[in-house]
Amino acid sequence: MNTPLLEMQHIQKSFYGVKVLDDVSIDLAAGETLALLGENGAGKSTLIKILNGDYLRDDGEVLIDGKPVHFSEPRDAEAHGIRMIYQELHYAPELSVAENLLLGRLPRRPGALGWIVDWNLTRKQAQDALALLNVQIDPMTKMRDLSVVEREIIEIVKALSRHARIIVMDEPTAALTPPEVQQLFQIIRNLRERGVGIIYISHRLDEVFQIAQRVTVLRDGKHVGTRAIADVTHKALVHMMVGREIEERTQVRQELAAVQTGAPVLEVRNLSKRGAFEDISLKVAAGEIVGLFGLLGAGHNNLTQAIFGIERAERGTIYINGNAVEVRSPRDGKRAGIGFVPLDRKINGLVLGMSVRKNITLSNWRVLAPMGVFWHGQEMQHTRHWVDQLGIRMAGGIETHTRYLSGGNQQKVVLSRWLEANVRVLLLNEPTWGVDVGARSDIYDQLEALAAQGLAILMVSSDIDEVLTVSHRILTIYKGRLTGEFMQAQATQEKLLQAAAGGGA
Amino acid sequence: MQQTLPVSPPSNKVVQLGRWLRGERLTTLNLFVTFVIICIIFASQAQYFLTLENFVNIGRTLGVVGIVSIGMTLVLITGGVDISVGSVAALSGVITSILWLQSGVPLGFATLIGLAACTLVGFINGYLIAFVRINPLITTLASFSIVRGLAFVLSNGQTNQLNDDTFKLLGRGEIVGIPISLLLMIALYVAFFALMHFTQFGRNLYAIGGSPDASRLAGIPVRRHLLIVYTLSGFLAGLAGIIIASQLASSAPRAATGLEFTVIAAVVLGGTSLSGGKGSLIGTLVGVFILRVLDNGLVQTRVSSFYQDVISGAVLLLAVGFDQIRLKLTSSLGGKP
Repeated sequence: MNTPLLEMQHIQKSFYGVKVLDDVSIDLAAGETLALLGENGAGKSTLIKILNGDYLRDDGEVLIDGKPVHFSEPRDAEAHGIRMIYQELHYAPELSVAENLLLGRLPRRPGALGWIVDWNLTRKQAQDALALLNVQIDPMTKMRDLSVVEREIIEIVKALSRHARIIVMDEPTAALTPPEVQQLFQIIRNLRERGVGIIYISHRLDEVFQIAQRVTVLRDGKHVGTRAIADVTHKALVHMMVGREIEERTQVRQELAAVQTGAPVLEVRNLSKRGAFEDISLKVAAGEIVGLFGLLGAGHNNLTQAIFGIERAERGTIYINGNAVEVRSPRDGKRAGIGFVPLDRKINGLVLGMSVRKNITLSNWRVLAPMGVFWHGQEMQHTRHWVDQLGIRMAGGIETHTRYLSGGNQQKVVLSRWLEANVRVLLLNEPTWGVDVGARSDIYDQLEALAAQGLAILMVSSDIDEVLTVSHRILTIYKGRLTGEFMQAQATQEKLLQAAAGGGA
Repeated sequence: MQQTLPVSPPSNKVVQLGRWLRGERLTTLNLFVTFVIICIIFASQAQYFLTLENFVNIGRTLGVVGIVSIGMTLVLITGGVDISVGSVAALSGVITSILWLQSGVPLGFATLIGLAACTLVGFINGYLIAFVRINPLITTLASFSIVRGLAFVLSNGQTNQLNDDTFKLLGRGEIVGIPISLLLMIALYVAFFALMHFTQFGRNLYAIGGSPDASRLAGIPVRRHLLIVYTLSGFLAGLAGIIIASQLASSAPRAATGLEFTVIAAVVLGGTSLSGGKGSLIGTLVGVFILRVLDNGLVQTRVSSFYQDVISGAVLLLAVGFDQIRLKLTSSLGGKP
């Protein structure tokens, strides 16, 4: 057998006496894609940070081409051809693709004009770099004019043009639409042909089956197993990651369909906003979960934002419990009894530098502090109540800053804020984006429990499985108009996709 | 920090202390240690330094910077800044003296009008920042210039006497040996500490500085809070201006020049972040103490006044720099700062 490109053997790492990596080994061959799976907190990112020289390992060995290496900072890893592609990309938006690709090493004019950039050569070098992976992007386009996937591809091209041998991708598809994912995969296949080894981290198992040859699963800092992708099933992988069987969702679906729903709590009549959505009328009853399914940019996000008061509809009326309400700001929305779980919880949902406690009670003072003054003990009590009820897990107790929570737990903090506020309507935008399998299942359970307690839930999602799994009733939206309504029992993937693509109900 | 220790597990109490002593608390402790060190150095160099009399003297100089620093702390916590405080402080004294001397308004009433004018300036700052959405630095830089100019226009560039015994009490009076301005400052710190730590309003300010978007979506009326904070800053700066006028028994349009820098230095020294969401009034108070003690000690150890500014600046860089290095160290060890 050939020497692997990369081997990490028996890696150990502890923080403050807590083992976060315990005897973890992975290996990667040139031209191979290895998927690295595990729930948040399983140790994936620590392992990757050790590879990149961000953290020092306590024990174990890292070998490249069979030779032991020691990285004490990211620069060392870079010198060995290791590149990271993170979810948050770093680029200069106002500069062109070519300038971003060649940043810091733009070619100069020859001779005495050596201090002047040679733009023709810049363009040519950039074109060559793009051609390596068959990328069809004009190198003179400004970065900010590119789509998310194009920016990611540019990042990959940049890594490759700097002689990358190992590329680590951390959830590269988190913000991509299905066609864009395929575009990215094509690039990854091109990379593979060039002999680059890829470590691919994702929460989306179907992607792993499409793109990876082997998969390594970590759980609680331990190496659960490495398998060839052809030898495992979806279910087996989930079992490896979670360590238990995830309850079969189809079972729950039957029960959901049978739930009796009450009078409408939220009603929207003829709501319109030019360029976003047109003439939307819908009702959500107490105890009901309505899924609003549409492809990206179909206007569903704008709709929930308008109901909550973040943006303003031009026409139409919103009724809560039959009373027309004027919602001009999120504050009005909240007063009307509406809660809103935003798409980007890190920017819009949480104050990351504040504790779990303070995030849960944030601006929830009707109960806690009717006169504006609160008691610490009572605040703690309320916080603990929600932490227990929703099963929020965090390493350092309720004073942990929400920055350090996993995606699923962050989402639960946002949820509990609205529960503390005692809302009657809950609007959710893509509630499980970037949330791992186990926590996703948890959140679905919570939504069902909340509905059972009489909340009216309107959930916007572009994830068809999610919509089919938790909704009692599903509406489809296309180009700002509702195109279909399905009861749980009648809904199928085909019907929903057709309606959401404008094909009619 | 425990990362570097050998594996022997620290006792329970040490662990608890280590947990409690994180982030801002540790910053404040560092600062307090700095303060003590500075005091020890001066005490060994100047025999008069460690006397009650000297500390009463220092106390007399605390009030102005201390009071303005309260407003500045609140402003910085929301992620903004208020450069106009020095000019605003000059304005209150000028307006008070003009009204009293030239228009014959009773002095008490004139003082209230002076304070009201400063509050109005703060309100306008807040309105422009929160509702017109002009950057806080630009807004208050403009009012810094406009208000200082107004002080010169109104006073015609003249220094005016404010010789009134009751008026002078505020700046020069004492109760059981403690300067009244210091007592006022302490009362304000107690009140604002309670405001920041036990009320919805205070908590909201931290949230707004931490993430304005998330705060808005949580239903906090962000703009209204900003308006209030800048208004408060204007009012407190005006109050400080009255104290200055009372101490000097006169008002001058060039009073409190450079006050904004001293105040920002004290607040930042106290661990408040310029990027918002983080900070405390206790830290600010210690920061104010350090700067004032430093000034006093340097005079007594006969350091040339030219060097005093150099040293004050260096202390600021050292204290804040150490804190940054500490944060960087803990985070690269993988700990949570």
